[in-house]
Amino acid sequence: MTLSLIIFLPLLGALLPPLFIRLGRTACAWSAGLLAGTALAILLYHSPAVFAGETLVFTQPWLPALGLNFALRLDGLGLLFALLILGIGLLIILYARYYLSEHDPMGIVGGYELSVVLASAERIQAHALYPVTLVLILLGAFTKSAQFPFHFWLPHAMAAPTPVSAYLHSATMVKAGVFLLARLFPALSGTELWFFLVTGTGTATVLLGAYHALFKHDLKGLLAYSTVSHLGLITLLFGIGTPLAAVAGVFHIINHATFKASLFMAAGIIDHETGTRDMRRLGGLWRYMPHTATLAMVAAASMAGVPLFNGFLSKEMFFAETLHAGWMGEWSWLLPLLATLAALLSVAYSVRFIHDVFFGTGPKDITRTPHEPPRYMKVPVEVLVALCLLVGMLPAWTVAPLLTAAATSTVGAELPYYSLAIWHGFTLPLLMSLIALVGGVILYLLRFRLFALHDRIFPICDAKAWFECGLARTVDASHWLTAWLENGSLQRYAMLLVASMLVVIGTSLWGLPLTGPVPMDAVDGVTLSGALVLALSVVGLVVSVAFVRFSAPDLALTQLSVEMVTILLLMLALYFLPQHSPAESSAARRWRDGLLAGGAGLSVAALAWGVLTRPLETISGYFLEQSVPGGGGSNVVNVILVDFRGFDTLGEITVLAIAAFGIYALLRGLRLPSPSADGEGRPWAEDRHPLILSAVSRPLLPLALVVSLYILLRGHNLPGGGFIAGLVTAVALILQYVASGVVWTRERLPFDYIKLTASGVLIATLTGVASWWFAHPFLTSTFEYIHLPLLGKFELASAMVFDVGVYLTVVGSTLLILANLGKLTLVSQPHEETE
Amino acid sequence: MELLVAIMIGLLTACGIYLLLRARTFPVIMGLTLLSYAVNLFLFVMGRLGQTQPAVIGVGDGQYTDPLPQALVLTAIVIGFAMTAFVVSLALRARGELHSDHVDGNADPRGPGA
Amino acid sequence: MTHTIILPVLLPLLTALVLMFGSQRSLAWKRGVSLAATAALLPLGLLLLQQVYSGAYGVYVLGDWVAPFGIVLVLDRLSALMLVLTALLSLPALLYASHGDDNTGPNFHALFQFQLMGLNGAFLTGDLFNLFVFFEVLLIASYALLLHGAGPARSRAGLHYVILNLVGSGLFLLAVGTLYGITGTLNMADLAVRVAAAGPADAPLLRAAGLLLLVVFALKAALLPLYFWLPRAYSAASAPVAALFAIMTKVGVYSIVRVYSLIFGAQAGLLADAALAWLWPLALATLVLGALGALAARELRTLIAYLVVVSVGTLLAGFALNNSAALAASLYYLLHSTLMAGGLFLLAGLIRTQRGAEGDQLHPAAPVSQPALLGSLFFLAAVAVVGMPPLSGFIGKLLLLSSVTPGTQWIWLWAIVLGSGLLALITLSRAGSQLFWNTLDITPVAPRADRLRLAGVVLLLASAPLLSLFAEPVHRYTQATAAQLYAPAGYIHAVLGERDIPRLTIGLEELP
Repeated sequence: MTLSLIIFLPLLGALLPPLFIRLGRTACAWSAGLLAGTALAILLYHSPAVFAGETLVFTQPWLPALGLNFALRLDGLGLLFALLILGIGLLIILYARYYLSEHDPMGIVGGYELSVVLASAERIQAHALYPVTLVLILLGAFTKSAQFPFHFWLPHAMAAPTPVSAYLHSATMVKAGVFLLARLFPALSGTELWFFLVTGTGTATVLLGAYHALFKHDLKGLLAYSTVSHLGLITLLFGIGTPLAAVAGVFHIINHATFKASLFMAAGIIDHETGTRDMRRLGGLWRYMPHTATLAMVAAASMAGVPLFNGFLSKEMFFAETLHAGWMGEWSWLLPLLATLAALLSVAYSVRFIHDVFFGTGPKDITRTPHEPPRYMKVPVEVLVALCLLVGMLPAWTVAPLLTAAATSTVGAELPYYSLAIWHGFTLPLLMSLIALVGGVILYLLRFRLFALHDRIFPICDAKAWFECGLARTVDASHWLTAWLENGSLQRYAMLLVASMLVVIGTSLWGLPLTGPVPMDAVDGVTLSGALVLALSVVGLVVSVAFVRFSAPDLALTQLSVEMVTILLLMLALYFLPQHSPAESSAARRWRDGLLAGGAGLSVAALAWGVLTRPLETISGYFLEQSVPGGGGSNVVNVILVDFRGFDTLGEITVLAIAAFGIYALLRGLRLPSPSADGEGRPWAEDRHPLILSAVSRPLLPLALVVSLYILLRGHNLPGGGFIAGLVTAVALILQYVASGVVWTRERLPFDYIKLTASGVLIATLTGVASWWFAHPFLTSTFEYIHLPLLGKFELASAMVFDVGVYLTVVGSTLLILANLGKLTLVSQPHEETE
Repeated sequence: MELLVAIMIGLLTACGIYLLLRARTFPVIMGLTLLSYAVNLFLFVMGRLGQTQPAVIGVGDGQYTDPLPQALVLTAIVIGFAMTAFVVSLALRARGELHSDHVDGNADPRGPGA
Repeated sequence: MTHTIILPVLLPLLTALVLMFGSQRSLAWKRGVSLAATAALLPLGLLLLQQVYSGAYGVYVLGDWVAPFGIVLVLDRLSALMLVLTALLSLPALLYASHGDDNTGPNFHALFQFQLMGLNGAFLTGDLFNLFVFFEVLLIASYALLLHGAGPARSRAGLHYVILNLVGSGLFLLAVGTLYGITGTLNMADLAVRVAAAGPADAPLLRAAGLLLLVVFALKAALLPLYFWLPRAYSAASAPVAALFAIMTKVGVYSIVRVYSLIFGAQAGLLADAALAWLWPLALATLVLGALGALAARELRTLIAYLVVVSVGTLLAGFALNNSAALAASLYYLLHSTLMAGGLFLLAGLIRTQRGAEGDQLHPAAPVSQPALLGSLFFLAAVAVVGMPPLSGFIGKLLLLSSVTPGTQWIWLWAIVLGSGLLALITLSRAGSQLFWNTLDITPVAPRADRLRLAGVVLLLASAPLLSLFAEPVHRYTQATAAQLYAPAGYIHAVLGERDIPRLTIGLEELP
């Protein structure tokens, strides 16, 4: 359980500083530091057990179906990393307290990265094919640890303030990838594929990183590329795959963390004191800050692999291992050679770091006088440098237990014997070290000639540029592709939709016997003429003729009344929309559209033909049987609408109501330039409300209302119903608008159409809810026959109340729609255009 | 008769879709209207053509037509009416805001206000 | 008789009507009513989910007319899940809207409630024609919401959206008509029985109808080649409307899953798995093109709209794999992607208002007023959407990837899902650095985000860690849901029982 605290305390530390920011910077640093310190204490509390060879595991099931658990394990390797992260993190918090200015955001330092890195200890138990897994994992690990060719992001992460980059580079983030390699070392290493992939990548990285480090003029750039190089070295060691190479790798992780963190902090101090990190401007700082200079020199010596410093020890082991690498056959001399070359470069840039900054002439163009930084800003550096020395001189007394524990868990088996002594006699590795040291110094002395050469040969040798160039190309290609696909043309989209329809119907019906067994109905005169007229004139009104012919009186009535209203609608629209479409489509386009339309028509006709020639076995018999006894109405279509499928009708009138509300919102405040003449240039009539029309229409209104009431009431038993009645009423009212004008009509019809519409839907809904009272589901109908004097037997069905709701909705929404459209002509007077 | 009806539906569909693929809002709306006629007719004839009696109980000899497709068509007509009204209003709004009756709101070759 | 099943439809409907009656009342009153009703949908949804948790079905027989004659609402694990998801998405969107977006035109809250009614009805209905009706309800409400407030961009995108969907509705009716013309029924359970029993003479027509439905649903879901309307429509809508629209595509996905597991599923005889051969390549292509579209986007809202396209591709690819584990993974991913898309649209709204005239365009501009807050939220969302551990996107993708067995499908799915994840990573990093990093040196003047809007964003984005933390119970539920969907006999039995269904034959009596 306490294991999880090691993760969550620093996370808390990331969240707390913003809360403490009001209490001042010191409180901020304290809160973050205290939590990290506590986590460190917990870690140390557990360390004896780990040194004794135990592995502590804390498991919390997360998603067992995937074998995904939140599992933390603390073994030697984990302990090493946690120690590095928390320990160095703690020092950095102290350093940052002094480094970051008042304006820098406190709070990001010291917390979140810890948890991310530690959280990578969650083991994801994946099992898949080895090469794929290996390549994918290596891709992840290489990217994270800035290996070639993914190394370019690291030096560019320079925007961060120095403590952050110190932390990122030396201790933590970049090591996450290396950690992954180390963690999976026992599972994946030891094959030829592993060797060539990992060692190859490591070698390329170590050389490229060192080369670039030498030619950077920015202090942090130098350190960043040197980090890349050292990570490459560690990767190379893991790639060799022998247990001793792994020990060397782990050892170098420790050493690199200590000397690189101190160098970054030193660079930060220099930047802080001089205001520049450019080595061409720096120099001679020894005079101003001898203490810092000494610390930096020790750390740099360690980086260069000078004897008596910790870097030397791991570098010796590195040389030794390159000599023993397998799989290379007759090329086995290559690896030691390249390793020596890399070390040589590393010596050269280490010398450059020290000499260009602290010695020689300068500093140039510095605005302030540099001096030693505050006492406590140096303490972290001192601690780390002391570690470099201690480990370098007394390895067996200091680092050995930790190294053994970490390396054992890395290798996953007992370690072979190895010695941490400084002196092994005159061996080949020692010779390689000497060559590197001497060669490095010579290389540094030749630096100016090299810089010129470098600038001439590699003006833009930058993988970042390549990456960005490739990315820009990809983005451009996506732009082009997307703009080509999503070109904003409705015609294209509609074409695709029609084509999809054509394809699915076509592929389903193609080549199959379409005609079914049912004999055809004879053609009679009415239909024939109707069909011909229909086919020729393509006027919707004629569809109602077809409905009449095929015994659908309700449909015919509805189609007729809807047609009237639709024509009104289209006339209104036509008033504002240009009547002549310019001939925009090319002939080819018209052919294509014609073919598509013809194909679609053919496919729908084929579908209809196929169905019509097959027998139908339908559930409709139930409706015919139950209409009178169950629904209380003899007009089965109406009973279906208001009773059997009343829920559809409720949805339908809701659609109508929403459409009306939506149209009301759409047209509100819209002003259109209205034409003063029609398409042929004939001026629209000046007389807006012809006298004869208004004289005739006014007496028509009560008549129409009576008719619609009749249609409404008889609908349950004879063709009719709420919808048709509603339309008749609406048309009669619209006629008043047309004949007498909006103002005249509005004065005499003071209804709120929105509320009228809403009340219609509400009545229909409440009729449905009322059946709950009788413990029946929504919309259950009931009916009763009552005998009235004079009128005789009279039927009252609850469904008729529902139909009244339909009626009101239709009246309200139709008027809302048409009145609002009509109002457009009122607000957009023809003469407005001339103004 | 079935063939004739199928041809009628096909013709309506073809005309509707041809108009739908035009570039100006009014023809497109006309196309949608025609398409909805075709669809309504299609839906309606799914109850077959043979029977001649309207489905009103007590009238005629009991050979009623299938009432269910008729009820569906009625619902579809109403919804179609609502949608047509909406798209007409939207076309007007688009004309007002984009100063063009092109379906993509492209600049009008006939000049503004035509 | 329990009426809870129909309440998710009736509650928004009645609320909308009350809001219409009170259209003259104060905005505060409307917000109160609307928020209260929307908030009530969540406990209601959870109650319904609890009822079907153990695998039971809830059948609500409207008008007391037994299936297949009347219309029934059917509650199963999937519909309950969708109801809860709708409630989870709509409340934060409405919270966000209740700070100004609801005031740019009339009746926003009523339209919002109508939209919820349409969504919930579509998820509950067990009748194909009734599904059409609810599609129309939710569409007409979405038209009005999309066009809410003014603007040429909205008019243009709205016109495209409306016209295409009108054609889609026509195709829906053609499909329903054909299905009725052959099987003589509209109830989905009954359709499943009749389609499974169809002979070779009828099968081609039924296949045409089934694939027409696929076209219709693919248009709604935004599947290649029918997704091109989406980016402009979604990026033209106001932030809360776009957030609510995150579930509109999922209605299409839901319908595909429902129809192709129940009616045209594995047990459908000659028509078994009629759509899968089409769905698999199209879904993967959608995934690729969506990811490229997101990379090409020049505005944050367009980018998010393309991420919606990507999520649809992923979901339908998962369904096309045609196994229970993949469907379970897809359903988990559906929850994640819907809520994250909603949250991102809201966040884009906040970013837009704080960046001044540059809005959400992805090029250097003035910084937002609250870079730390909005930047962290964006980072959280990006990690989740890209599918990096430990947030919900990672789990969803991992579940999906591990559900496929090695083979051709394995290679395609892994390559495309991981590749599109990489593209999304690049896309969102670029966008994030443009919005929060490469800012011009201008002091932001826009006011800080208000609490209501912020609450909306945070509530939705919180789903990423929460779905990850509770991945186990959520995944257990989606596994049970997938298992239920692949065993449709339970659904059919719950709706039709053991009744003998009388059928009337038309057309054959004239045969000798």
